[in-house]
Amino acid sequence: MKSSTKSSNVVGKRFPLVDALKKTTGEGVYTDDIKLPGMLVGKILRASMSHARVKKVDVSKALELPGVHAVITGDEPGAQNKFGVLPISKDEISLPKPGAPGRDGKVLYAGDCVAAIAADNEEIALQALQLIDVDYEPLEPILRVEKGIEPTDEPIQERTQDGTNIQKSVEQHHGDVDAALSSADHVATGDFEFVGVNHGFTEPIVAIAHYDADDRLTVWSAQQVPHYLHRALTEVMEMAMHRIRVIRPMVGGGFGGKSDPFPHEMIASLLSRKCRRPVKILFDREEVFLNNHGRHPTRTHLSVATDAHGKLTALDLDATIDGGAWGSFGVVTTYYNGVLSMGPYHIPNFRYAGRRVYTNKAPCGAMRGHGAVNTRYAFEVLMDQLAEEHKTNPCEFRLANLLPANTETVNGFRITSNGTKECIERARKRSDWDSKHGKLPFGEGIGIACGFYISGSAHRIHFNELPHSTVHLKIDMDGGITVHSMAAEIGQGSDTMLAQCVAEPLGIGLDRIRIFSGDSDTAPIDLGSYSSRVTFMAGNAAAEAARKIRQKLVDAAARKTGCPAQGFVLQEERVIYSPDPSVSLTFDEMLQEALAKNGALIAKGTYQSPPPIGKRDAFKGWRAGLSPTYSFQAYIAQVSVDPETFETRVKKVWAAHDCGRALNPLAVEGQIEGCVHMGLGQVLCEEMPYLKGALQGPNFLDYRTLTPMQMPEVDVIIVESHDPEGPYGAKEAGEGPLLPILPAVANAVYDAVGVRMTSLPITPDKLWKAAQRQGVAPGLGSPAEIHV
Amino acid sequence: MILPQFKYHQPATLKDALAVAQSCDGDFDFIAGGTDVLPNYKNRLNNRNNVISLSGVHELQDVSADRIGGMATLVQLENSAVLKSALPVLPAAAHLVATPLLRESATVGGNILLDNRCWFFNQSPLWRESKGFCMKADGDVCLVVPQKEICYATYSGDLAPVFMVLDATLHLAGPESDRDLPVAGFFAHDGITRNVKLPEEILTHIAIPKSAQALRAAYRKLRIRDSMDYPVMGAAVALSFADNTIETLRIAITGMETTPLLYDEVMQPFVGEQVSMDLIETISGAVQEEVNAYRNVHFSPQYRKAMVGVYLKRILTELTTPKNSNN
Ligand SMILES: Cc1cc2nc3c(=O)[nH]c(=O)nc-3n(C[C@H](O)[C@H](O)[C@H](O)COP(=O)(O)OP(=O)(O)OC[C@H]3O[C@@H](n4cnc5c(N)ncnc54)[C@H](O)[C@@H]3O)c2cc1C
Ligand code: SF4
Repeated sequence: MKSSTKSSNVVGKRFPLVDALKKTTGEGVYTDDIKLPGMLVGKILRASMSHARVKKVDVSKALELPGVHAVITGDEPGAQNKFGVLPISKDEISLPKPGAPGRDGKVLYAGDCVAAIAADNEEIALQALQLIDVDYEPLEPILRVEKGIEPTDEPIQERTQDGTNIQKSVEQHHGDVDAALSSADHVATGDFEFVGVNHGFTEPIVAIAHYDADDRLTVWSAQQVPHYLHRALTEVMEMAMHRIRVIRPMVGGGFGGKSDPFPHEMIASLLSRKCRRPVKILFDREEVFLNNHGRHPTRTHLSVATDAHGKLTALDLDATIDGGAWGSFGVVTTYYNGVLSMGPYHIPNFRYAGRRVYTNKAPCGAMRGHGAVNTRYAFEVLMDQLAEEHKTNPCEFRLANLLPANTETVNGFRITSNGTKECIERARKRSDWDSKHGKLPFGEGIGIACGFYISGSAHRIHFNELPHSTVHLKIDMDGGITVHSMAAEIGQGSDTMLAQCVAEPLGIGLDRIRIFSGDSDTAPIDLGSYSSRVTFMAGNAAAEAARKIRQKLVDAAARKTGCPAQGFVLQEERVIYSPDPSVSLTFDEMLQEALAKNGALIAKGTYQSPPPIGKRDAFKGWRAGLSPTYSFQAYIAQVSVDPETFETRVKKVWAAHDCGRALNPLAVEGQIEGCVHMGLGQVLCEEMPYLKGALQGPNFLDYRTLTPMQMPEVDVIIVESHDPEGPYGAKEAGEGPLLPILPAVANAVYDAVGVRMTSLPITPDKLWKAAQRQGVAPGLGSPAEIHV
Repeated sequence: MILPQFKYHQPATLKDALAVAQSCDGDFDFIAGGTDVLPNYKNRLNNRNNVISLSGVHELQDVSADRIGGMATLVQLENSAVLKSALPVLPAAAHLVATPLLRESATVGGNILLDNRCWFFNQSPLWRESKGFCMKADGDVCLVVPQKEICYATYSGDLAPVFMVLDATLHLAGPESDRDLPVAGFFAHDGITRNVKLPEEILTHIAIPKSAQALRAAYRKLRIRDSMDYPVMGAAVALSFADNTIETLRIAITGMETTPLLYDEVMQPFVGEQVSMDLIETISGAVQEEVNAYRNVHFSPQYRKAMVGVYLKRILTELTTPKNSNN
């Protein structure tokens, strides 16, 4: 990797994550490790019907069971208060109200919550669930989007468009796509189908609520966005925000699947208020799948046009997105499916029509690469096709179409740093692309794809003027620095990032830094771990706060030495006067001087995205996808496809990612490798098929994440474009690196066997069938088959 | 997911185990490694009130070249030096089962007696309630092939086809008497009854004839991932040939139908034939023609069926290539 020219203290160096030892030794405390005196077990009764009106719920027998402390239904005060992660689409309730009309009295998918119990232990709770009698009136379930876009008398949710189940439609048009299409030299068109996938995080969803004697509520939850949970709890519990405390213990992975406020968090709180005891709700894996919020199943119709020189002239995109039963981040998803295709290529004409449709299935939501992954696949596969039609090397074809740095896209994205060119060139060289592409024997292939992703959302989902991130620092005579932040460490390494951003200007080691990033009572607000915002926003806030502390310390050094403050350098736990290096103090000497007659030093840093970004009010949805900066990728994958079984094996991946500056290359490599692993799952074997309205295999045997045995070697190529606004030049590395792996593999499969796959995952049976249709695979007779 | 309540018995001898079983009035399951029984219990699939563990019956754990104890673990098989030299196909096949962790407790007996699998069956109570219960647990109709006569759940064990091609014999100990059955005659075409073992009978060991050691044998399984996954098709072949002429040829297939199947009759015409690529294609095609599959596990039945031919062709080619002396 390219090392930074400016010398640094801790930035750019490889550090194991600061919480790694606690996690690997088992000392780390996750939510399920917390045991409070008198704590009860909460369990949720889940609907067996996909769409039904709840007429009556009889809990009397369950209440009589010894060991049961509380049973709640939608009749519980607060259980009907609406919530949802986006303030514009709050359509979730904790529990349906028996007999209520409309959405409030219905279950919306098989697995939706119906009632809940708090009991002494799990056995009793499960037994009690069986004693609850539910009287349903079944309604016609809407299981497919084709059905969902039709008008209906019984829409799943209250707020839909024109009597259909369409939640949100988006239309955007920049330039003149029709003109571009009709004058195009080539137009590549494809219909793509993507099934849903799930995050597959290790730690199941879990929360503890304690409504205490002082009428205060504390909620411990495996959350990526504690602040939005905090807001939702206020509304559901009808309590002042300052009487609620949200604590985020260690989190075992999120990937977007822990970024909504969820019903179980509300239910635990309601149960706790009812029986005045702490209540823990821990999901089993099936419940995690039923809660889902994974990537949306999507049908994508895409046309990409080029002129005679192989320059892109237009993108014409249509997406129908299966949202499942709730809104979640869906409005954002709908926009992202379109607008996040606006890079890394220059696209002068762009048209997008997208719609998200409610169906009676587990809700979909944000998942790593939110909104961008499926469209990116379609786009990059068609790019490969166009390169072939233009008889151009796919690398050259892409290079010729790149956006430059410091430019603006037709829809108003402000592009600053941009390392795509370097990404393509380095991956191309290291993979020996030129001697492989189109030249390998049948069954062997190599493919390339690029990517583009936001590094934080410039506009907040709640319209207010608060900073996106705020970080507090304190340093006292013990010499340790306490960092208070609500940036959620979910395994991605944000605590380590904060520690580095703080240590850097102070010239000290990470061992002096203590991160407190999980308690809403003590930390200032941060919008949490989603949209790849944390390094850019919380990192900038932390760095700003640290620079303020640094100033106070340097002033003290100047006082003590009599030298002017500007000349001091802080490094390796010392402060040195650089015009005369013999003038020097230890960090602690400087600190004690700063504290004298003063006491602990405190400082605050904040981050706001620079106004104005985007084409303010120029068109509907102008805010969507606006980010202070963007990350870029180019991946090359080499595969081997068995010419008879059509099993695909990914042999090696060259993954080049522009993260601005790698604050911690070890962590960046981890993110890239993790993204490759996750993306390979979606492209090769992960899928959430539904069998008559029920998820076919809600467990880790049937839902097939890649095992280490299928994981190829990943040659990580870190490209540093030094973002002018990022903390020490950094931008995101957590989501963008997922995007290109899927189409890179698909393009490699095409290079290997000449089949373009327009539906994922590329399982051998599907590839075999597609190859047979194209006459690539030998016909092997058709068996007597019995269909379901 | 938590286990249901049951009474746990841990007899120390075969005799005691049989006696405990008799005293349970049919309401029991034997349990060996528990890697099949316990997940099913957690899903509340045909739970019993008594669970009789065989882990204390040490006499069932031995492994030798002609006799494999029912309670031998798959790791024991994988690591057995004796088997590696006498019958290398067995350690190799055991290595392909499940995951390293599961193979620590999984046993050979449990593998042979593994319950059949189906999307509509291996699910939680909530899931099954929402789709309607099927005949194999709590219901009265098949949801894969709508009828009430037979369950088409797929037999998904890896080792049975290997024992079939080695011409092995199962030894069952019963409360009254013991009996020996060829593995090939042990299974029954129904996903619920599955085999002819009486509930009280214990599989003590599998006997393998000395002649098996002279055969070349191999097993390959089709699965999605290289670990963890059950076979959605598995093919075992054992053969011998001299002067390029087939002397013995046995092929068995698993992961397709309600039982593993040995294709002895289909093989008859090929014995005495000269080994050639044409012959290999003919043999592979003949078996593929015979096999059926149902849409109740991963991958389409057409694909799985087509792979029978491909896999057999590859195994037969490997086993008839002279310089390969491994198997
Ligand atoms: C995630 C996962 C993946 C798996 N993948 C595979 C795979 O790839 N291939 C495969 O073949 N299996 C697989 N299995 C199934 C299982 O782990 C193995 O088949 C294993 O060998 C079963 O042995 P066990 O000792 O655990 O059986 P148990 O669960 O203890 O018993 C299984 C059955 O056999 C009966 N039984 C056991 N021993 C005796 C005996 N001596 N006498 C009478 N009855 C007996 C029990 O009563 C029960 O009905 C998988 C299981 C899991 C959970
Ligand atoms: S094949 Fe039919 S009866 Fe057997 S488990 Fe499946 S659905 Fe049930």
